[in-house]
Amino acid sequence: MQALEKTQVTETDDTRRLAGWSPKVLLRDAGIGLALLLLIVFFSVSTEHFLTPNNISNILTQITINLILAVGMTFVILIGGIDLSVGSMLAFCAVVGGTVLTIPDLSVFQAVALATLAAIGTGVVCGFLNGWISAFWGLPSFIVTLGMLNIARGAALQVTDARTIYSFPPSFNAFGSQMIFGVPVVFLIALVLVAIAWFVLSKTVFGRLLYGIGNNEEAVRLAGHSLMFYKVAAFTIAGALVGIAAMVYMARLNIASPIIGIGFELNAIAAVIIGGTSLNGGRGTVIGTLLGACITGVLANGLILFGLSDFMRQMITGVVIILAVIIDKYRERLTGV
Amino acid sequence: MKFSRFASIVALTVATALPTIAVAADKPVVGLVMKSLANDFFKNMLEGAEAHAKKRGDYELKAIGMQNETDFESQLNGVENFITQGVDAIVIAPADSRAMVAPLKKAMDAGIVVVNFDVSLDEQAKKDAGIDLAFVGPDNRGGAKMVGDALAKDLGAGAKVVILEGNPGADNAAQRKLGFEDAIAAGKLDLLDSRTAHWETEEANAVFSTMLTAHPDIQGVLAANDSMAIGVVKALDAAGRNDIKVVGFDNVPAVAPMLKDGKLLATVDQFGSQMAANAIDKALEVVAGGPKLEGWVKTDIELVTKDNVK
Amino acid sequence: MINAETVRAQAAGVSTPPVLELHDVKKSFGGTRALNGVSLSIQPGEVHGLIGENGAGKSTLIKVLCGIVRPDEGAINLAGRPYMPTTPREAKVNGLQVVHQEFNLLPYLSVAENIFIEHLPRNALGIVKRQEMHAGARAALDAIGLSDIDVHWPVERLGIAHRQLVEVARALMTESRILILDEPTATLTARETERLFAIINDLRSRGVSIIFVSHHLDEVFRICDRVTVLRNGETVFSRSIAATSQDELVRAMVGRKLQQQMASEIVSLARPEEALSLVNFRHLQSPHAHGISLRLHRGEILGIAGLVGSGRTELLRAIAAAELPLSGELRLEGAPISFRSPREAINAGIGFVTEDRKEEGLILNMPIAANVTLASLADVSRAGILDAKAEIAVTQRLGAELKLKYGGPGKNAATLSGGNQQKVVLAKWLARNPKVLLLDEPTRGVDVGAKAEIYALIRQFAERGLALLIVSSELPELMTLSDRILVMSQHRVVGELSRPEFSEERILQYAYQGEQQQGRH
Repeated sequence: MQALEKTQVTETDDTRRLAGWSPKVLLRDAGIGLALLLLIVFFSVSTEHFLTPNNISNILTQITINLILAVGMTFVILIGGIDLSVGSMLAFCAVVGGTVLTIPDLSVFQAVALATLAAIGTGVVCGFLNGWISAFWGLPSFIVTLGMLNIARGAALQVTDARTIYSFPPSFNAFGSQMIFGVPVVFLIALVLVAIAWFVLSKTVFGRLLYGIGNNEEAVRLAGHSLMFYKVAAFTIAGALVGIAAMVYMARLNIASPIIGIGFELNAIAAVIIGGTSLNGGRGTVIGTLLGACITGVLANGLILFGLSDFMRQMITGVVIILAVIIDKYRERLTGV
Repeated sequence: MKFSRFASIVALTVATALPTIAVAADKPVVGLVMKSLANDFFKNMLEGAEAHAKKRGDYELKAIGMQNETDFESQLNGVENFITQGVDAIVIAPADSRAMVAPLKKAMDAGIVVVNFDVSLDEQAKKDAGIDLAFVGPDNRGGAKMVGDALAKDLGAGAKVVILEGNPGADNAAQRKLGFEDAIAAGKLDLLDSRTAHWETEEANAVFSTMLTAHPDIQGVLAANDSMAIGVVKALDAAGRNDIKVVGFDNVPAVAPMLKDGKLLATVDQFGSQMAANAIDKALEVVAGGPKLEGWVKTDIELVTKDNVK
Repeated sequence: MINAETVRAQAAGVSTPPVLELHDVKKSFGGTRALNGVSLSIQPGEVHGLIGENGAGKSTLIKVLCGIVRPDEGAINLAGRPYMPTTPREAKVNGLQVVHQEFNLLPYLSVAENIFIEHLPRNALGIVKRQEMHAGARAALDAIGLSDIDVHWPVERLGIAHRQLVEVARALMTESRILILDEPTATLTARETERLFAIINDLRSRGVSIIFVSHHLDEVFRICDRVTVLRNGETVFSRSIAATSQDELVRAMVGRKLQQQMASEIVSLARPEEALSLVNFRHLQSPHAHGISLRLHRGEILGIAGLVGSGRTELLRAIAAAELPLSGELRLEGAPISFRSPREAINAGIGFVTEDRKEEGLILNMPIAANVTLASLADVSRAGILDAKAEIAVTQRLGAELKLKYGGPGKNAATLSGGNQQKVVLAKWLARNPKVLLLDEPTRGVDVGAKAEIYALIRQFAERGLALLIVSSELPELMTLSDRILVMSQHRVVGELSRPEFSEERILQYAYQGEQQQGRH
């Protein structure tokens, strides 16, 4: 009887913890947010143009693609994997989407709809293969996606014969630089994706099991869940997001070239890591990833405004990545695992 | 069609990778060492050379490319293979102006005619190796000066400009930057900032947007290649600025519409598709007993604007 | 032959001082006493058997001797001088070599490189002198009769037995005074064991002392000169092998006092309906064509006893489809069924509490409620979206039922004590209402108080009609809980005891007899 009475629960602390918001996680996200805030304050004070509406919307536009890729990367890293192929996949998705987009005699709506399907479909297929091959044969995703990095790049060059695709419908192109109250529409799309990813990761069975797999794969398997399904799904989601990022790329820059996206996977991984997600899997939030992407974007922009040379800029970005991981290590040690 | 194109490249690459027995002596054999075939520019160049070989019909062409812009290894191996096969001439677009000097010296010692095109080998490195090697190629610096002059003429003295550079460390990037600076000095322009965007559209877009924030009074942009110029044009579109003039380099097909509607003021065509073919012609002249090439054999470059764009 | 050796060694033991002496060595890990006063003396050139149940302290003792673990109290003398190694290297320098149970060879290096790994012959430039190394390795192998092994082969090409012998060769590279062999025959066939014994005899005649740790009493009687029995971290006795018997050793290992613990008044709750039965059921490593057959009824608690390596854990894992079985039949409530994944086994009503809680049972860094609902997420979600309140409700209900002491359903499982962690694992399975619950070492790492609680819970489960199959290395635990006990040895059932027949001696006798019958014909 006593037990039954107790089941009437409203304890919000416990529900929050179950959704992945333990005080520790909040502390971590808050810490990253604070770092971002400090950077913003620093650049606002030290440079003339940093805190202007125009520059803010520039930064938001500039981080959009990396943010979308990083959201997908978060799923993969959470299960303890890594996806090195997203840069190449971006090129492949873009040239497939771009080819569809330039089919003559389609209405703009048809062209964009089909191109979006084609780009996302391409990403889904590549992502599925990444996940399936590594899960089925038990291979490290590092190796499999390294292979996909080459396959997708080669495929992009093959389908375009190494040529750049350009001249997309003007209204599609205009969409890429559309603003709502000074906020780029493409960034809003990325924000919606972040929100969906947050919901999936913290509120669904699917998300719970991704965290579970990242923490203790065997316990999840022995509790009756198919590891294969969840691993493949994580990589497939990452692939789908690459497809969306490819559409954003084309809308913004009006070209699709098979040599775009080189090194983008490293930027995405950097955003995820700076955002506090553990490379070992099982720990991290997509909100952290959003903050991480903002930090890399603010740094890239602010350091130019600050007048730092390109080489110094590159060095500082590297230092920040290492610092983020070191701080995370200390935080873990101080607050306990 | 596309596939056969690809297959022929593969076939060529494979053929040269195997140490074949020296080919029947009636036709001279020319080994062509290219850079990355994933790049429009070199792809066109290779196609130009193949068409040229077919048209002349009096020599045999063997070509190899590389994986990417920094893949020196496959160029090195390619040259060594050509030496083993005993080709008559090696025509090379070196991936690195210093790294390729030693293997080319070996080729020359083996009696092979070597012609260097596209990017000039480093003078000092050549001197150190004790070789004298002519360069057949465009004047990157001159071209950059040409397109920079066009911008200066359009803007007038005192105009504020920025430069977008190619990959730091790349020879043509350095030459083009020098050319831009020559033009800026000659036209008395005011250089506000100069940064690399690694030849890339997306990066150029981001870097230039930020430069524009820092210097809203920019009047002109000198981009070291057209891919970056495209990124700049898109950034200007997004910022709603149509008062800023942009010049590029390379004349890739994607910029033709931009030249036509004035979003791009000018670019430079170095006739890349003919560059390899020209170099091969020069090499064959020497093989046939002609005089040794010397110094810098400049190839044609042309300023492309709204008026002459195709 | 052996008798002659024995006599000689004993004679030597009287006249010469011991090469190794331990006085009252003690060691605790946290709250548990691993060694509680071990005394031991080893004569030069004797083979000394060291036996004891699982957890009696044999492994800890070996770790102390080879410098991996520092004792809290006690004195050790090596050749008359105080000896307290702090690193394995120091132990080796002092002439004490260990061949461990788990192999320490580097599989991709050659046999010769492995043998010389600690002191590769090098020239002035630090370059390995390969010829010298190969010649040395050849000599080392020949010395122990391994002429058929090529020293150039990578170790991975060797079978398990040969690897073990290469380890012996490596241990003998340095001038050893004492060689410790930890369960050396566990993986050897009868012929290979003979070969090892020949090597041991040879070493003994060269004056090397050998500490021979084994579960196989017959081997102890064949090869050892003296034997020491450990129980609960204490030395029970050391005796000349001629002056003891197998029965005496078994009794010494078990201890008399435990027998009173048997609660004979407990009545079996087994019902007539069959819950689970196995017919010639074989797991992947099972060497026996007939596998294992058993029958488990609703409400019954069936205990499985056996030495480590007898195939108990593998059996449970195969039933739960954690590893797929090789052959045989599994019947659930009388109907034959086969599972292709843990998922199918769970859906059919089987729960599996694994031996290794931290690696396989719990997600330590996730909330307690998330662990409780891990196997029943469909019950606490709608259309794939989790209902956190339902999760908390389930956790609180089961937590109350299992008397879980916890800070809250949202706290991480890592914050719990061992006993409460185990209760979370039990709750995870109870949340599914299973028909059969498999428990592998249900109270490992659990303190005494929580142990009693878990025993009571297990009885409660049986009362409700749940069929339970329990594997445990702690015989008192099995005897307290079980209605019946099956004894396993070498992947077979070698004996069955009903409650009135329970005694540790009988269980161990079955277990050791099984070893003998199996071992050497």
